[in-house]
This record gives sequence, C-alpha cells and structure tokens, in this order.
Amino acid sequence: MKIDLIYGLVTGILFGFLLQRSRVIRYDKQLGALRLKDMTIIKFMLSSVLVGMVGIYLLHDLGLVKLSIKTTILGAQIIGGLLFGLGWGLLGYCPGTAAGALGEGRLDAVWGIAGMIVGAALFAEAYPAMKNTVLTWGNYGKITIPGILGINHWIIIVVFVVCGLVLFRWLEKKEL
Amino acid sequence: MSKKLEKKAWNPYLAGALSGVVLILSVWIAGKYFGASTTFVRSAGFIESTFRPEAVETMEYFQKQVPKIDWQWMFVVGIFIGSLLAAITSGSFKWKAVPPMWEKRFGSGALLRGVVAFFGGVVAMFGARLADG
Repeated sequence: MKIDLIYGLVTGILFGFLLQRSRVIRYDKQLGALRLKDMTIIKFMLSSVLVGMVGIYLLHDLGLVKLSIKTTILGAQIIGGLLFGLGWGLLGYCPGTAAGALGEGRLDAVWGIAGMIVGAALFAEAYPAMKNTVLTWGNYGKITIPGILGINHWIIIVVFVVCGLVLFRWLEKKEL
Repeated sequence: MSKKLEKKAWNPYLAGALSGVVLILSVWIAGKYFGASTTFVRSAGFIESTFRPEAVETMEYFQKQVPKIDWQWMFVVGIFIGSLLAAITSGSFKWKAVPPMWEKRFGSGALLRGVVAFFGGVVAMFGARLADG
C-alpha cells in the first residue's frame, strides 16, 4: 500500500515536469485549443494517447498488464462531457493541470481547485438522486471499439495511429 | 530586477510521447492509469469530515470514494511538485493571478478572474464526475 503512494508521487512528478516544460498547463494554451487557435495541447495529448495505446496493448497481449475499461453510459457521459467542457472553458485548467499551474505560480488555479472541490462535494450530494436516473441512461456496459466491430484491436490501433499522424501533418501545415 | 529569459518550450510531440511512456511504465509497474478527478472527491470528503463527520460516513458517494490518501492523491501532489521543479529550473516560475489571454480581453482584475475560475471549477468537476472521467 505504501509503495503505491511513492509510485503515485514519482509518476506525478515526472508527468508534472513534462506538462510544465511543454507549457501545456497554461490557461493560454488550453483556451488556445478551445478557440482552435493553438493546438499545442492536442499535439501533446494525442501523442501521449498514441504511444500509450501501442505500449499498453502490447503489454496486455503479453499478459503483463490489465486494461481499465470504463462503463459506457451515454446519458451520463454526454451531459457530463458538456458540463465539463463549459466549466473547462471558464476555468482554463482541467483537474490535473490546475495542480501543475499552481506549481508554476499561477494563483488563479487556487480558485479553480477550490471550485473543483466544491463541485465534487455537490456531486456527492446529488449522487443518490442521479444513481437511478441519469447514471443509467444508455448504459452499454464495458464496451470497446474493437469489441463492437468484432475485429482484432491492432487494426483499430493502426487506424488511430495513421489518422493521428495525418492530423499532426495537417496541423503543422496550417501552423496551428 | 533583471528578467530572466524563460527557456524554450519542449516540443509537444516529444513531451507528449514521453508522457505516454511514463503512463505505460505506471500501468506496468504500479498497475495504475492516470486520473485526477477522484482526488477532488476524496479531498472534499476530508474537508467535510472536519465539520460534519457523521454525514460523510453515511453518504453513499463517500462510501464509494472513501476520503483517503491513495495513489492518485499522491499523483496530483506529484504534478504540483514536478511542475514547480520544472518551472524553477527553467526560469519560468512566476506568481500570476490573471493569465495573459484573459487580461487582454477582460482586464487585469484578479477578483473577476477568480470568481469565473471558481465557478468554472464547480461546473467542470461536477461534469467530470458525472461522466466518470
């Protein structure tokens, strides 16, 4: 249990270092992406997703790691996603990057962190009412794209990587 | 005071790919995927338990996400420390209450920025928890 905490701290330090040095934790970068003017955070996130996808599926096929597949609940995820986007646009930091923004001295992140703690408390209050309503709407269970299509996951991975690289090329050409 | 020039930003593709490697190692070694929003639930539980512990004990959501220091809680603290180290060693640490893009459009008032950031945080976190993100 205790070693878990050390792993968490070290992993966070490495991730926070990369987030800060590439400047993706900044309000201007996050709003830049939402305003379709500066795609730095898209480049960072998608690179991370593509590398992680290949590595984790490779280790999974070797029987070394477990996947962590979340339940698809359309109602909760569509409404939750819309709310998250609205809040993110106002705050300009997401939960992880708010901690990073504070680390480089951005004091507005303190307000954001306080707001997020209040938001979490409100969610805990509302949970009993939502448990049998919005949190059940369109529940498809733990599905995956290769699972629905009934094809090998490496086909999907290759398609995603190719699409990602095409997008990157286009972003560089447009100087976004 | 002379203004130190901030070091050039790292290439986002490279830094992103390295984050992907850090994620792979984390899943492999610790069995942990990255996340941050559950930490805010646990923190809310900690704070609430200081003034109404009996409510926190009976609330269903705090039984699901028990207020405790876990891997993810330390991960979020780590992001803070990592960013602090990166900022200090690159000469980019700066106390700032209003981001430049905000200032250009809404002015340098820290209160307006703070209030909007706070409400943005409330809405964003409620949405993130609803979507289980």
